[in-house]
Amino acid sequence: MSSLIQLFHSLCEPFDYAFMQRALLSCALLGFTNGFLGTFIILRRQALLADALSHSLLPGLAVAAMIVGLSPGGLLLGGLMAALLVALGGQLMARNSRLKDETAVASLYIIAFALGIVLIRFARVKIDLTHFLFGNILGLANGDLWIAYGAATLTLSLLVLFQRPLLLVLFDAAVARASGINVGWIETGLLALTVLGLVASLQAVGVLLSLGLLILPAATAYLLTNSFTRMLWSGAFLGMVSAVGGLMLSFFANIPSGPCIVLLLALFLGSAYLFSPRYGVVSRALKGRHFHEESLERWEGHQGHDHQVPGTDFKH
Amino acid sequence: MSAQLSDARPMLTIEDLTVSYHRVPAIHHLGLNLDAGHCVGLFGPNGAGKSTLLKAVAGLLPAETGRIQIEGKELSKAAPLIAYLPQRESVDWDFPVTVQGLVEMGRYHHVSLLGSFTKRDEEAVRQSLELFNLHPLAKRQIKELSGGQQQRAFLARAWAQEADLYLLDEPFAGLDRTSAESLATALRTLKERGKLLLVSHHALAEAEALFDTAILLNGELIAYGPTPETLSPIHLECAYGTAVFSGEHHNHSRS
Repeated sequence: MSSLIQLFHSLCEPFDYAFMQRALLSCALLGFTNGFLGTFIILRRQALLADALSHSLLPGLAVAAMIVGLSPGGLLLGGLMAALLVALGGQLMARNSRLKDETAVASLYIIAFALGIVLIRFARVKIDLTHFLFGNILGLANGDLWIAYGAATLTLSLLVLFQRPLLLVLFDAAVARASGINVGWIETGLLALTVLGLVASLQAVGVLLSLGLLILPAATAYLLTNSFTRMLWSGAFLGMVSAVGGLMLSFFANIPSGPCIVLLLALFLGSAYLFSPRYGVVSRALKGRHFHEESLERWEGHQGHDHQVPGTDFKH
Repeated sequence: MSAQLSDARPMLTIEDLTVSYHRVPAIHHLGLNLDAGHCVGLFGPNGAGKSTLLKAVAGLLPAETGRIQIEGKELSKAAPLIAYLPQRESVDWDFPVTVQGLVEMGRYHHVSLLGSFTKRDEEAVRQSLELFNLHPLAKRQIKELSGGQQQRAFLARAWAQEADLYLLDEPFAGLDRTSAESLATALRTLKERGKLLLVSHHALAEAEALFDTAILLNGELIAYGPTPETLSPIHLECAYGTAVFSGEHHNHSRS
């Protein structure tokens, strides 16, 4: 009995420290927001664009640090501007030249990244590149926290508000445009929110791992459900649980928190990939080669038609 | 070139329509009036402007000259009345949506951003599913349907939207016989209920069985009217025998 109480006490230990409380709260919020946002990114097939954008934040941060110093607001604005310039610049290049958009964006972001590393040397304040790449969730200052909360809340509320038009655009942009939706605005807005979400999680998990928070929960949910709404909310929930769980793990195992969160998310994705009831690799292999009941049902449904050859219309 | 099929106010009016890609006209000074309750086939060789015409009427391509009106309204105000059915290859069939979810999308125009579905919306969804014989498949993900069922699911979404003008780009492409028959039945249902369907189609063979009216295009309007007369040998020779867009060269003044 006493050992149980001891276990309970040691499990609660992280909550005793102010720095851990703050980190846990931001993890929960960032995990939830990014997990929610991830569904839109994945269904729009823009996971790699988001990756490119996260890297292109660097020159903006460097320029902001040179001008206004290390104030959170300045950094946010700088990162936002840089990423939007890369995204819009990429679109512009793709439209006006032979380059395809993924080539244009890839070129621009890597140029921006290199430019950022050079610019950092000229910033009067010292920016720790390790923190930028891997984040520093335990050392979050109050300003960073408020920025993260504000950005996450704004992102989440706009996404919830516009989820129906977003769904129509994601499913088929041409049809959405024909039915009177301003597709350009919706797409640009989603891009801006992606950058905002990245900037919000930048201080916490860093450039390299922010993508994990964005993509992995939604990818897991995508393997599990056929409902858009369920994918949204379960991605968000999974992101929140993993972010908090990963941080706790990192506390006890004394390993860096960013990788811990991503690896926990990887565990969920791996399980879904293998064992998702409908789309898991193992589950499908165990089910046998075709669905006898469905085949039978279709065969009977087609009895009235003369030229139906059994087996030609079946889908697996 | 313009003609009138009946005296009533037409559902779709096209006047002097020109649509160009990079200054090369794909449709050239085209005029048409089409009434409700018809299933209209759109014929012509590759590059004749069939897809272009459908996209222009859907508001996806700007008109260089001329205008399009639907039920007397300008195109920009008529969007909810139009249902544009995508070509099959442009749909992501892995999208996490069921047949029911797809049909519900049709109601989004009738509901405010966060508003929940009313009784009327739910009823409209249920009726659409029933009309197209999809209610046993309502919970299926859209990839788990046959080709004909997939096309019917998109028609059901348009029906739930309460669209009056249906634009279909090569809906029969890649369908096997059974699927094509079920799609043809669905189109007939819509026609009987007073909708106007504009359908681009490749094969001339079964044209008369599918469409009561035909439009023959070759960059310009060759002929239009009842299917047998429109697809007469002389007209077909004119559409398929000459080069696409053989009109005189001239400039459009910018409006």
